[in-house]
Amino acid sequence: MTLKKGSFVIEELENVQINIGKIGAKEEQIAEGPTPRPEIIGLRNWDYRILDRYNPVYTPTGDTCDYCTYGKCDLTGNKEGACGIDLEGQSARQALMTSIMGAACHSAHGRHLLNYLIKKYGEDFKIDVGPSNLQAPLTETIMGIQPKTIGDFIPVLEYVEEQLTQLIAITNTGQEGSSRDFESKALHAGMLDLLGMEVADIIQISCLGFPKSDEKAPMAEIGMGILDPKKPVVICVGHNIAAPAYILDNMDKNGLFDKIEIAGLCCTAHDMTRYNKTAKIIGSMSKELKYIRSGIPDVLVTDEQCVRADILKEAQKLHIPVIATNEKITYGLPDRSNDSVDEIIDDLVSQKQSGAVLLDFEKIGELVPKLAMKMGAIRKAKGLTALPNDNEFKKLVAKCTKCLQCTKDCPQGLPISDAMTAAVNGDFSLFETLHDKCVGCGRCDYSCPAGIPILNVIEKASQRVIREEKGKMRIGRGQIGDPEIREEGRNLVLGTTPGVLAFVGCGNYPDGTKDVYDIVEEMIQRSYIIISSGCAAMDIGMFKDKEGKTLYERYPGRFVKGNLLNTGSCVSNAHIAATTIKVASIFAGRKTKGNWEEIADYVMNRVGAVGIAWGAYSQKAFAIGTGCNRLGIPVVVGPHGTKYRRAFIGKPYKKDDWNVLDGRDGSVVNVEPAPEHLMITAETKDEVMPLLAKLCFRPSDNSLGRAIKLTHYIELSEKYLKKLPDDWHIYVRNEADLPVAKREPLMKLLEEKGWKIDWEKKKIIEGPLRKVDVSFQPTNVPRLCKEVKK
Amino acid sequence: MTPKAQVMGQNEEKVIDTTRQAVPFNTGNIPGPKMARAVMPAVPGKMLAKAKRPLLIVGSEIDDPDVLARVVMLGKTGIQIASVGDSYKYLGDKGLDAHYMNMHALMSYICDPQWPGLDGKGGYDLVVFFGITYYYASQAISALKNFSKIKVISIDKYYHPNADMSFGNLKKDVFIEALDEVIEQLPK
Repeated sequence: MTLKKGSFVIEELENVQINIGKIGAKEEQIAEGPTPRPEIIGLRNWDYRILDRYNPVYTPTGDTCDYCTYGKCDLTGNKEGACGIDLEGQSARQALMTSIMGAACHSAHGRHLLNYLIKKYGEDFKIDVGPSNLQAPLTETIMGIQPKTIGDFIPVLEYVEEQLTQLIAITNTGQEGSSRDFESKALHAGMLDLLGMEVADIIQISCLGFPKSDEKAPMAEIGMGILDPKKPVVICVGHNIAAPAYILDNMDKNGLFDKIEIAGLCCTAHDMTRYNKTAKIIGSMSKELKYIRSGIPDVLVTDEQCVRADILKEAQKLHIPVIATNEKITYGLPDRSNDSVDEIIDDLVSQKQSGAVLLDFEKIGELVPKLAMKMGAIRKAKGLTALPNDNEFKKLVAKCTKCLQCTKDCPQGLPISDAMTAAVNGDFSLFETLHDKCVGCGRCDYSCPAGIPILNVIEKASQRVIREEKGKMRIGRGQIGDPEIREEGRNLVLGTTPGVLAFVGCGNYPDGTKDVYDIVEEMIQRSYIIISSGCAAMDIGMFKDKEGKTLYERYPGRFVKGNLLNTGSCVSNAHIAATTIKVASIFAGRKTKGNWEEIADYVMNRVGAVGIAWGAYSQKAFAIGTGCNRLGIPVVVGPHGTKYRRAFIGKPYKKDDWNVLDGRDGSVVNVEPAPEHLMITAETKDEVMPLLAKLCFRPSDNSLGRAIKLTHYIELSEKYLKKLPDDWHIYVRNEADLPVAKREPLMKLLEEKGWKIDWEKKKIIEGPLRKVDVSFQPTNVPRLCKEVKK
Repeated sequence: MTPKAQVMGQNEEKVIDTTRQAVPFNTGNIPGPKMARAVMPAVPGKMLAKAKRPLLIVGSEIDDPDVLARVVMLGKTGIQIASVGDSYKYLGDKGLDAHYMNMHALMSYICDPQWPGLDGKGGYDLVVFFGITYYYASQAISALKNFSKIKVISIDKYYHPNADMSFGNLKKDVFIEALDEVIEQLPK
């Protein structure tokens, strides 16, 4: 007899219920490190080490606090409010709240999926993410357990939820007052976020047949121009695959893929293509309003996250029914889960109702294609669209008074009135440029005193480029497999692969989606490993070279230098962070279970990985970044990232901040600032590229690796900032660290800086901060040293 | 005659008012009860002239030739320049005391009394800026407003509420004229 987890009763034994929990799971739960299931201050010492070096820098968006009825309190100039909190504390509290929101979002997504998948497949359904022994690196490192089945994630999410509740409690007035401890708790929330994401993606990969560490995952079509608008069109918006999977299954079963177009917006799109490669992708959240207003969708299916708050209002105007499939977003719509599909369809087609909450996945699967067929016929006959026709367009652009109010309300400050003027003269090129730079928020519509629906005007003028907006994206592959880490880990730690750059996050770019393509193209040609996820992964696939190929078609998807990987949707970000844990475990043999501090210390000192969220807008992106920071991974965000209000910035001029210990004997070694920052912004793409190269330096780089990294840092700075970096010499430990092609001229410059050079032997005699020591074991954690010297 | 007038070959000076339209350029960018005092160009000009160690910060929006010319004129008076974003590419060959810095890091360092400055000669007693992506500058200088004692003056085209003093939102020609009037106050 096989015993399974669950509860059962024995007949004839009244009132006796036998509960069977984790069978044979004990041996998997032996933590190897000191902090399994860390409580709120369980990793505070590690956080303090981070915060001592990478000082929180606050850039408040507001100088007041209105969280309680004492206020509003004016905290300008770091004054204290009525409760005693000062602006620094309040800013840190906001960082904590932002991290909590993001972590809750991903973890609740994971909880929804876990409940659903356990109900469908059972707790004993085996985890399978591909060729890996280390299948759940974050779970192991944080929880100290090695999950084998999806049911093993129940205590993981219970832990996350309990911790998040504790953290939320801390944000109440009259709780924490130390900004430093607020930040430690924000780092804790960030770590929980990574854990929640890992659960969500592992269980969906395992149960739903997503690619499993598949470097050759197929390509998906992406762009606003990919769908045939003559067919009925279903658009799924959000992040949760549960409901769209049923729609795809129904369409598959009934052979509807050539009759109905189905595509996703934002991360649901990623997971739809991972579930069924026939699905297509429209793009990021920036495309949401634009695509709805095009009138092309005949049915909108929402789930959770990154769904515009006005989606129902917008859809109603164009008679597009909205099917809300997740309790988190219900828009005041009636819950029709218990009604018949035909009744619901009748009410939606007749416009008796503009949408419905529908939480029964079977019904969703049946209803949506049927509804699309009916709505498609009706809507296309009427030609419903929010975009003006040619005559209306001419009148609208002529109404512009150049008051610039639209520019003032535009998050990007776009020069809309210039485009209006050009369009009056028949030149649409400025609008076409704006189409890519515009984040599709629609704030301009509200601002125009002349009543011009500006977003619609931009989109109307850009129809030519929209029709051509057809790209390709390699479907999300999931984790990086253990064999790939074995192959590449050494190169990463020694620095001979210059770095891993993770392009993540949303579409709130400072200057359009093309920036991301440009940055990736530059860095991949320099042999960085590029990993992408979420909306950034989509936008990378939106542009083509002269031969008509996207970057995904030009570069393979293996975890080796010069490759371009897409892990998948937002929750797959966990795998990107977890890759560094895999390097520490597989390459360096570090114990993972319950051993966060040691792993993070290893990552910070040895793994040249950097995250870049160039268009980050959401609390989720902040939480991901903060979680990466606690794992020792630096993160760069675009200029909008200053509105996150907190960064972690290192001070290279404070020499003592850059003391580390040598793990061999505990001696103190003053090292170069590497990585120099943990969270920072940059203003433009030209600035960010050398910054990314610099943030890949690690104290453990060998000379060959350092020379490679230094080469890129110098070349990128010279190419984009037209200068040799001011601090390049700081990273030189001996002549072998210098880029081979520039060794002699750089040595001359070092001599000018006072360094002593033996020109006969072409050696540096004196000058560097420290010598290269191939056995150096940098660590910031005293207990990890074999013998601690005082 | 202002430098602008010299450049344009004009003999008459326009009277400009840089205190108009002193509302945050991004409509929602209202930080709190303390917002920048709108000033005429002579005020930052005189303060720059009087400062012992002023720092001019310029960013990626100095690519306009008229604006760039004013950055160079200001730099030629000897003011040290923190060139943030990618602006160094416009300044590197102009013979100025210009240093690349990341704006966010710079804000952190200015708040730190131990920072040795861009040239190792110590901190600054006045920060003046323009030509940086509006929301980026506005957000970044909120660090100086709230966590440092340094005076911050915007001589940007836009009203920056987080500065101590700022011009209002200006049209380009007025902006250029205003910069010229600032420059006019500086020792040659």
